[in-house]
Amino acid sequence: MNPASDLGIFVISAAAGLIGALAGVGGGILVIPALTIGFGVDIHLAVGASIVSVIATSSGAAAAYVRDRLTDMRVGMFLELATTTGAVCGALLAAVVAPAFLYVLLGIVLLFSAAMQVGRLGEETVPELPASGLTVRLRLSSSYPDRQSGREVQYAARRVPLGFAMMWIAGVVSGLLGIGSGVLKVLAMDVAMRLPMKVSSATSNFMIGVTAAASAGIYLSRGDVDPRIAAPVALGVLTGAILGARLLAHITNRSVRLILLPVLVAVGIETIGRGLGFGL
Amino acid sequence: MNAERFRTVVSLVLAVGVALSAALIGIGFIAALGVGWQGSLIGATHAIGRSTADLADLPARLTSLEPLAISQLGLLALIATPVVRVAVSVWAFALEGDRLYATITFAVLLILLTSLFLLH
Repeated sequence: MNPASDLGIFVISAAAGLIGALAGVGGGILVIPALTIGFGVDIHLAVGASIVSVIATSSGAAAAYVRDRLTDMRVGMFLELATTTGAVCGALLAAVVAPAFLYVLLGIVLLFSAAMQVGRLGEETVPELPASGLTVRLRLSSSYPDRQSGREVQYAARRVPLGFAMMWIAGVVSGLLGIGSGVLKVLAMDVAMRLPMKVSSATSNFMIGVTAAASAGIYLSRGDVDPRIAAPVALGVLTGAILGARLLAHITNRSVRLILLPVLVAVGIETIGRGLGFGL
Repeated sequence: MNAERFRTVVSLVLAVGVALSAALIGIGFIAALGVGWQGSLIGATHAIGRSTADLADLPARLTSLEPLAISQLGLLALIATPVVRVAVSVWAFALEGDRLYATITFAVLLILLTSLFLLH
């Protein structure tokens, strides 16, 4: 690597972090296609660099969410049993599957994330549901302060085994692709466990760092976390994500997501095409 | 430890961990733009062409202020941040007298430590 390509990786990672933050997906999902397609970086090194950038952005955001009482630490810690186990399996699997499979899977996750954005364009309502057996035993019910209505909103987790199983899959995908799998985590908590959207997003962010750390150790031991790529990627994605969070406060979510949706779809199709051998 | 204090400590661990590692990674990166990844900020010379997976000679490369080694230390600190957060949570749940969640969190810590050390 020469200084020009070092700076290039930093800039393209910052762009991925910025677009990711604005589109409501992580930076990892966009930085891997940017590195492999844009800079010809080996997919395993791109995944190793992405996974550490995921730890940086999620931990940075989680630090703020935890203070705001939106994060449910019990739900998070319990489900981390599933995501960390899944992440270890995914990271071990990544070494033996063909890179083409990784590209196709990444493309599918990108397209899926895009589809999920369409559903998230509307505003959510919070269903107040009674707690079931496992929920009581594991104390997976709590409340959070809702800023819009100005009141404490009570909630209780439903369908805990289904949520746990979906979290394991989110962990496998995270470990395989070096992404946070935030979309899958939110899906498990929001759709399967019926937790409020805000709690699901904040808790997902809280969990992403720990999930990523579980597979990062394996990528590190394999030599796939090369500082020459991982350093500019982590710094770039973090910078982009911080800028994105600042920008988001001034613009509406809805319009941003509508604009960025085609970007996710285009990158998703491109990535699948690459995996299937169609080239650029 | 009350819930409020617990959240403050967890939040602080995450914020300090990210800030510290970003600073180290950033210093290494900027230094690399000047002297190259395997150069030295104090002009020391050492063998090149090592595998980046090998962390055994990291202390030696750090003393010669090699940009690659400084960034590598930052990346290690970054990976350690969530692990420290989980370790602190075990302690916090135990202080709260919450044996169920102290055990669950300890199990997560074991999975993380296994992935970091035993698989080498």
